[in-house]
Amino acid sequence: MTTTTRREVLAASLATAAFAGRSARAQSKDPIKIGAVLSLSGPVAVFGIPERDAITVAANAINDKGGISGRKLEIVLIDDKSNPTDAARGVTQAASTDKVVAIIGPSSGSGILAAGPVAQRLQVPLLGPAGTIAITDKKNEFWPWIFRVAPSDRVDVKVVLQDMAKGGFKKIGVMYQEDAYGKTGLDYAGELSSGLGLDVVESASAPYTATDLTPQATRLRNAGVQAVFLQISIASLGVAFVKAAQQVGLTGPAYANAGLAQRSFAANAGAQADGLRVLSIGNIGFDPSPPEAELASLLRKAGKEPQGWGELVGSNGLMAAVAAARLIGDGPITGPAMRDALEKACGFPTYSRGHACFSPDNHDGWSEDSLTVTVVHDGQLKPLQG
Amino acid sequence: MTLLRAHPNTLVAVALCACVILAVRSDPAWTDTAVLTGIDTLIALSAGLSFGQAGILSMAQGAFAALGAYAAALAAIRLGLPGAAGLALALAVPAAIGYALARALIRLSPLATALATLALGSLVDIVLRGWESLTGGYIGLAGIPGLGLINTPLGYLLLVCAMLCISVFGYENLMHSRHGRALNVIRHDRARARADGVDVNAVLSTALALSAAMAGSAGWVYAHYISYLGPDSLTTNTSIAALLTAVIGGAGYILGPVFGTVLFEALQRFLPAQEAQGLFYGGALVVILLVARQGLLGLAATSWRGRRRLRPVQAPASAAV
Amino acid sequence: MLEFVVRGLLLGSVLGILALPMGLLFTTVRTIDFAVGAYALLAAAVAAAVPGLPGLAAGLLCAVGAAGVMGSLYLLLRRFGCEDAIVPALMSFGLAVAIASLVLLIWGTQPFLREGFSTFLSIAGLRISPQGLVDLAIELGIVATLQAVLHRTDLGRMMRATAANPAGAALAAIPVEALQFATFAAGGLLAGVAGLLIMYSSGLDFTAPLGLTLSGFGASIIFGIGSPLRAMLGGFAMGTAEALGAGYSSGMVAGMVPFAFVLIVLATTRFGEHGLAGDRL
Repeated sequence: MTTTTRREVLAASLATAAFAGRSARAQSKDPIKIGAVLSLSGPVAVFGIPERDAITVAANAINDKGGISGRKLEIVLIDDKSNPTDAARGVTQAASTDKVVAIIGPSSGSGILAAGPVAQRLQVPLLGPAGTIAITDKKNEFWPWIFRVAPSDRVDVKVVLQDMAKGGFKKIGVMYQEDAYGKTGLDYAGELSSGLGLDVVESASAPYTATDLTPQATRLRNAGVQAVFLQISIASLGVAFVKAAQQVGLTGPAYANAGLAQRSFAANAGAQADGLRVLSIGNIGFDPSPPEAELASLLRKAGKEPQGWGELVGSNGLMAAVAAARLIGDGPITGPAMRDALEKACGFPTYSRGHACFSPDNHDGWSEDSLTVTVVHDGQLKPLQG
Repeated sequence: MTLLRAHPNTLVAVALCACVILAVRSDPAWTDTAVLTGIDTLIALSAGLSFGQAGILSMAQGAFAALGAYAAALAAIRLGLPGAAGLALALAVPAAIGYALARALIRLSPLATALATLALGSLVDIVLRGWESLTGGYIGLAGIPGLGLINTPLGYLLLVCAMLCISVFGYENLMHSRHGRALNVIRHDRARARADGVDVNAVLSTALALSAAMAGSAGWVYAHYISYLGPDSLTTNTSIAALLTAVIGGAGYILGPVFGTVLFEALQRFLPAQEAQGLFYGGALVVILLVARQGLLGLAATSWRGRRRLRPVQAPASAAV
Repeated sequence: MLEFVVRGLLLGSVLGILALPMGLLFTTVRTIDFAVGAYALLAAAVAAAVPGLPGLAAGLLCAVGAAGVMGSLYLLLRRFGCEDAIVPALMSFGLAVAIASLVLLIWGTQPFLREGFSTFLSIAGLRISPQGLVDLAIELGIVATLQAVLHRTDLGRMMRATAANPAGAALAAIPVEALQFATFAAGGLLAGVAGLLIMYSSGLDFTAPLGLTLSGFGASIIFGIGSPLRAMLGGFAMGTAEALGAGYSSGMVAGMVPFAFVLIVLATTRFGEHGLAGDRL
């Protein structure tokens, strides 16, 4: 009996030691779960789908190189269906059911505003790929939990207007689409123009469903504008405007904001769009910098052709999360830990251009140096010469 | 007890709510889903009331909910009023607009009324987007305060369930009242109703006003729960979904919309492709209208009645649906 | 201002083509086909995917096919004894939602565009795209054909008889069901033509159907839903109002035009009034 007991105890303690050893190793090998709540259906899917593609290939690339301190990245994908209700719902699910430590998304400004309170309550930071100024407004109670991973709309508009001022124009017109993006462009153009020596003498707008923009183009032409600022993100509206402008004899050059930096706009706008300037976040499709080229090749290997800057902005979200996780190092990776680490993340590697930096006081990580002015030529977006 | 026996629909609603609350209370994601489903059910119920009973195919229920939501949000943010005052506004504003619309258009046939409500819904949408100084325009209103004591998801679930049961109770009472009987007669034969001395315009307009108020109350809960309200939150798509689920569940039956919404929400969890959602909704609507014009509840009731004689407890189904 | 009016008229010619199926269907079958915008989208989507002339033909074929589905559903409903006008309208709604979703599923969120004319004609000092003139010419051709068919041929007489009194027409050995089905199919064809024309001017995407249907309906009821001529004039009126709205006030007002039209007309005219005797819409 004594022998059995001793053998039993020995077996039991060996088993316990082995088990403890294995579970400790298993814990440090647990994947780091990052949520991606993006618009995979509905109108905003034009940007949400490229964001998803980039996040997926970038995460796979990191995992292939061993992950972060031996831990693999696991991306949890949820569709926010381009509406704020489902954005909030997606964030709730990712945070409470899937227990992610950070969320890239939602894809639209209204989605981020709706999900902000949830992120605050469930203590998971949101890495928002939207330009809407309101999401990093310090008056929001949930401000500490939102980090912007793209240049804001205000920065975009300023860069376009500065480019227009360099062209020597004085009287400009604004053509915008009837939605949040368009209206914001109009408002900021009005606000920033006088400081740059420009005067917005006329503006015209069109709803998504407009089939013909000749009345709008006529209005701008009648006001004698020397150049037009285009705040449009729907490719077909952009094309319609270009055609209408040519038809009615609106001859001044057009300067488009980043909303139109899409392959489908450049390809369909036709020969009359040659010379049209389009602001872009990097130029992954047609003139990539070395990191952009690397992301492009990762995408192509996965069978996806880069569409515009959606992929870059999505990857920004992932690289920011990776940077935060690396800063935490060996400690436990939780939502609040990620949030604190993000505020210390500065100068970390990204695929986009420019210097990415967050601080406890600034949650807008990207600004002008990731933007570049391109020109439509031959169905492509070529870099501006000189 | 006779009170309960006279309100079987309410009994079922209470039982359903109790089951749901017990099932989801420990899971935050499911509780969140339940709250949002409850809000959708309230809007669908309002569509069922206006279509199933008053024969008004209203495609503006989402707009009424949005009006109620904005009224509640503005009351809380701009005027600092407590939640109950916001609820009063959320009931009154949509009801007033619904009543006025109905009076202007009541002589129209159901089809024309449907188009008018669709146009109204779109107009409301455009005004909410454009009137920036009031509604925050495209950006909307963020930071809507909670409802005092009720500030956890479970609390909101209890609130939504209570509102749903009260609405079903009120709906049932309405159908058992003189008003409800008048609605029935109007639905079958307006000339006969007028001959009976019923003020058709007033009765129908009141029904639409009540349905608008119900949708408005759903908007009130939505605004306080999500705490953000934008023009994309409650749109024409919401109206369409509410109507589709109400008809699929059975618009003539009080619990039809409830059944339809819960069923669709459950199915959505298991539908793989998001883009194909519309295909499923639309296809289901077509099939159900072909096979069971009274909706799924109607189909169930017919087959049950075929097997044993049962005293019909719902509002009488009719060919007008 | 004249320029806005002219541009509005040209814009309105496509709206008029969309209004034609609405009017035709309403007078013949007494119901609304909500899927008109969806047929237009389907035609454009297919034509954008298949290059050249075969693409146009394929697009039209698909639009007619989809409308044929709606026609069959309508006939099935009548067979099942449903006399209500609302039920087919609801069904067409479901069909519209399903078609838009199908397009999204197959082709995604991209716009459906084709390169149109790139040179312009100068008429009376205004530069006009040939596309606008093509639209106008096609519409005039269609309306003239429809008017001729309706009032000068046997087919037209049979259609008008079916519209006035289906039971009587059936007794007179008029193939009522076939005519009703043909009306749906014709509606699909017209909507398809409109979709293709829009594809050449500004392009369409999967969010277009509801707006197109409503615009078409608004255009069809402005001058009374009776004849193709009225639908065409309604299209011109609507287009001009939209152009003036865009030219002189904000885009928000321009967007409100079709809906405001619908509401005003419904509230003030006798369209769709509830008859007391017979209750025939």
